[in-house]
Amino acid sequence: MVSTIQNTDVKQKDADRAVVVAVTSRAVFESGADGDDVYGMGVAFPLLQALQRVNERLLEENPAESLLFDVVLITTDSQQQQQSSRIISSTRHYGLEVSRFCFSSEEDFVESLQKNNVQLFLSTDRNEVPQASQKGVLSALLDRQEAPSEQLRVMFCGDAVNRPDAGPMPASRQAAQSFSAQLGEMRQRFGMSDSPLSIVLMTSHGGRESCGGALRTLRSRGVNVDEAYCLAGAPLSPILSVVRPHFLLSDGFSGLED
Amino acid sequence: MSGQVKELKVSPSSNGDSRGSWEEKDEFDQDHLGLTTKPKLVTGRRARKVEGGVFFPKPENAVTIAVSSRVLFRTEREQEVYLQKGVEEYLRYQIEHENEPFAPGPAFPFVKALEAVNTRLRELYPQSEELFDIVLVTYNHAHVGIRLINTINHHNLFIERFCMTGGSSPIGYLKAWHTNLYLSADADKVREALAEGIAAATMFMTENLTEVSESQLRVAFDGDAVLFSDESERIFKAHGLDKFFEHERDNEDTLLDHGPLKGFLEALGKLQKKFYAKGHRLDCPIRTFLVTARSAASSGIRALKTLRAWGLEIDEALFLAGAPKGPMLEKIRPHIYFDDQMFHVEGAAEMGTVAAHVPYGIAQKHNLKQNSNVGK
Repeated sequence: MVSTIQNTDVKQKDADRAVVVAVTSRAVFESGADGDDVYGMGVAFPLLQALQRVNERLLEENPAESLLFDVVLITTDSQQQQQSSRIISSTRHYGLEVSRFCFSSEEDFVESLQKNNVQLFLSTDRNEVPQASQKGVLSALLDRQEAPSEQLRVMFCGDAVNRPDAGPMPASRQAAQSFSAQLGEMRQRFGMSDSPLSIVLMTSHGGRESCGGALRTLRSRGVNVDEAYCLAGAPLSPILSVVRPHFLLSDGFSGLED
Repeated sequence: MSGQVKELKVSPSSNGDSRGSWEEKDEFDQDHLGLTTKPKLVTGRRARKVEGGVFFPKPENAVTIAVSSRVLFRTEREQEVYLQKGVEEYLRYQIEHENEPFAPGPAFPFVKALEAVNTRLRELYPQSEELFDIVLVTYNHAHVGIRLINTINHHNLFIERFCMTGGSSPIGYLKAWHTNLYLSADADKVREALAEGIAAATMFMTENLTEVSESQLRVAFDGDAVLFSDESERIFKAHGLDKFFEHERDNEDTLLDHGPLKGFLEALGKLQKKFYAKGHRLDCPIRTFLVTARSAASSGIRALKTLRAWGLEIDEALFLAGAPKGPMLEKIRPHIYFDDQMFHVEGAAEMGTVAAHVPYGIAQKHNLKQNSNVGK
């Protein structure tokens, strides 16, 4: 059973132009003590604020801007579903710019994503992410961050993850390409410094040609990368903890490797 | 800024291709910015022979040298665009000139020599990760990335790791890469690195560079406030030469405290021992020098005792007893010379040595122009 509720507090986005990002409510809100009306802030909370800040800046540049992030909160957790009003009131309490609430079961949440034209799905659940990905929805895993930045930091991984035989689904690759192109377009609305959005490229295995190829491919899609890290086999986590991306997109980028 | 760039001799690449000397054309550019030289176009990437050995060592096992793009290459023209016209125009300019490789900068001969040592190390120890690992760490935007990669290809450098931070501080990345030495044109970044315990030095472009060895890496160090702490220099600055001599004599058997580049000398020594172990002491491709204003008979003894107690060998110790360092360095021909005093850095550069400034210790509080050649 899938149901969608509009958030009347927030102006709805242009369905043709907006970039629909679905985030699980379990990632955004933390179940606090029972009896609290309002949930605590979860792992994805800073991310939502960063998305919101990008929208604010986009509208500052152009009040008629239609290329905005359209954030949808999706609830698959049955416990949280019973508390749908609490999710909605918490959203309002924090003034989060969420335009729709989707409620579905674990079985049909991907259907819900597809129905809502979701271009990017973000979750803390390690099962949900590949599930959505396999059905062609660009997805990324969210993790707790130390000192998350105010700037939205999106990282593209130029190497395919170690799966030499099973490449990513064509549908997912398509989704990745169109999302990256939209992100690139958004990025161009801002100058070099003081941008609310930073696009980061990392190649973990290949050498400089691998990274150079990825830079060119992204540029051909209209994506101008701000930061580039070529690791050539060096361990990822020390670098990642300095880069601090909000999420990584490694799905569907096999076109970027050498 | 002078009109012509003098010829800079660059050693053959480490995989044996002969390069000949890298020359700037003598023509003057129409560029209204006042900079000369015509840019060379990338002719295509040379195939690199891949011999046996490790090529991507783990950072903690390797001797990691982080260099910024402004010291590895010459980017004065682009800096001018940045300063005169701002960052947007700077990046647009870089992209427009993407297929024109940068010329070698002050750190270039040093990096080439590191690669030559690596080739020898791989021959002797094909399984070992104890190699030099060169990482380009720049706070340039990734928009400049393709031009930098084209340039690395053009000069046939083995640099496969880089961080282009798009304007944020590179210091966190230095730590993540277990950096043993950081070379940059930006003195503030260098100071930040030193404050984090990372050996670092500021480099400057010099014209009229003397030819350096193509087969042996030669690194020269000042003593006080570079290998050793600045404690003795403080005495000299506060109380004069006599008090300095007295202090050194009284404390001859007390070890000096360590300075910011001690760790790097240690890393070089470790690699040297690997050559010695295979019978290559006489023709070791790494040679180190101490070039100090201390005197051999008196204040120098404490320096030598300290090095010995640290278990560090230095191949040649030159005690100048206050004489200028330039002529001595010109004879030694190091790929790089580290000193904490700009006076000596400039003096070395005037005589064709690539000198790097270590902005550490009491000397930084003094006027750069102060005549301090009545040394220790």
